[in-house]
Amino acid sequence: VTEPRTYESAVARIEVIIRRLDSGEAGLRETLDLVKEGRELVEYCAGELEAVSTGLQELRLDELVARLESAGSPS
Amino acid sequence: VHPAQPVPGTAAPPAHGSTLPGPFAVGAYAAQLKARLQQFAGVQLIGEVWGVRSGRARVYFELRDSRGALPCSMWQNDFDALGVELRDGLRVVVGGGCDYYPGSSTSSPSFSFAVTELRPAGAGDLLAQLERLRRRLGDEGLFDIQKQLPRPVLPKTIGVVTGEQGKARDDVLAGLRRRGWAGRLVWAFAPVQDRHAAGRIAAALRELAAVPEVEVVIVARGGGSLADLFAFCDEALCRTVALLRVPVIASVGHHTDRTLIDDVAAVSCSTPTHAAEAAVRLDCRTARSELTGHAQRLRLHGHRAILVRARTLGHLARAPSQQVERQRRQLHQLLRELRASARRGVEQGRARAAKDLLVLQRTADRSRTAEREKRRRDLARLALALAAHDPERTLARGYALVEDGSGEPVSSAPAARTAGDLKVRFHDGAVAARVGEAEPA
Repeated sequence: VTEPRTYESAVARIEVIIRRLDSGEAGLRETLDLVKEGRELVEYCAGELEAVSTGLQELRLDELVARLESAGSPS
Repeated sequence: VHPAQPVPGTAAPPAHGSTLPGPFAVGAYAAQLKARLQQFAGVQLIGEVWGVRSGRARVYFELRDSRGALPCSMWQNDFDALGVELRDGLRVVVGGGCDYYPGSSTSSPSFSFAVTELRPAGAGDLLAQLERLRRRLGDEGLFDIQKQLPRPVLPKTIGVVTGEQGKARDDVLAGLRRRGWAGRLVWAFAPVQDRHAAGRIAAALRELAAVPEVEVVIVARGGGSLADLFAFCDEALCRTVALLRVPVIASVGHHTDRTLIDDVAAVSCSTPTHAAEAAVRLDCRTARSELTGHAQRLRLHGHRAILVRARTLGHLARAPSQQVERQRRQLHQLLRELRASARRGVEQGRARAAKDLLVLQRTADRSRTAEREKRRRDLARLALALAAHDPERTLARGYALVEDGSGEPVSSAPAARTAGDLKVRFHDGAVAARVGEAEPA
């Protein structure tokens, strides 16, 4: 069972990848695979950071609940 | 309660099908119930007053807390003597015991806790009550559940339960700003200190947790007296927090206060600002900069991996011709060395021959010298032998040599006569002589 991806798990994996690449022990195929995986993780993290950088959005719970209820109602 | 004897005159045949004793007269049963309840030991109770009303001789109210309630009554005279003004929500300590009014054929029965003592609860009472509850909740393991929940370092949606007017609201915003966080914030405003607070806060928490996007909830309230903060020690609220699906970060009162919600929450913070920082554990600006660094390193490694390998491949492609060139250079070198070696051999041969020649010459010289010596010695010997025949040596012995005018020896008398003038040579000189007429006799 794969753990759901989180920002911290992604960053931890990126750091492992960079350590492996820095060691110079990875062959060409492994290096290219690691770089590809690392770039995907960086993109994911950048997306997560972007989501909390667009500007503070403040909602009131009662308004949110009302909105969710109206969205969920069949009419 | 079991009457010792059936009430006389009320005995009846056993009810059909029932195995229970009786039936007994209800009044007798009620009287015995009253007697039995009055045997309960007198105790003190703590709770909130609710629904105070005065009867003809008694004051009635309920004593409540989150787990239950008890109807109480106190003689009006005793109550008046206390001089306490009861109002809904007042936390009081009452002393007394159980009582039961059995009623009659014309009045309703009622149960009540007969209060003989009453005082508003002090801090000590509250703390003692708090400790008992804390122990009980701790024993049930409710303090650990929240702490085991995974807590995202970078939540995108945060729920906040706080008072709408309080300073805590601004503090939470300040903490989030400090982290550089600007995601979605869901405010759930609730009263944070009156007697309705606990229930409203619990309801707000449940509603926030029902929003799937909410990843963490902050419960924040500024400082206050223990009585003010008591809403956050409510048992039902604490149980709600303990079982919530999202982690709760509590910041209630000052850092010296310790409410029960601090114990059950995933994290307890001293200020709402810290609670906000605990909700977003990542400094977003630093994270952005670190991520840029990671991206650059990955790009560098990708680039280097291709470039270095390309160089190696290029090198390998050039290798055969370089190998031939290398072999050719080695061959030339060997050739040069061979020639040099040959030259050195000739030179050495020549030097050796010259040396041999010199040796030969010296040997020959030495031979020639020996020959010369030998000849010299032979010559000396011959000279000696010759000297033995030298006329001079004969002259020395007294002989004389006669020579004619031209120096030719005159070896006979006739020759002497013919010559006329003669030279007579002795060993030490010569004298002239003339042949005379007379002949010696």
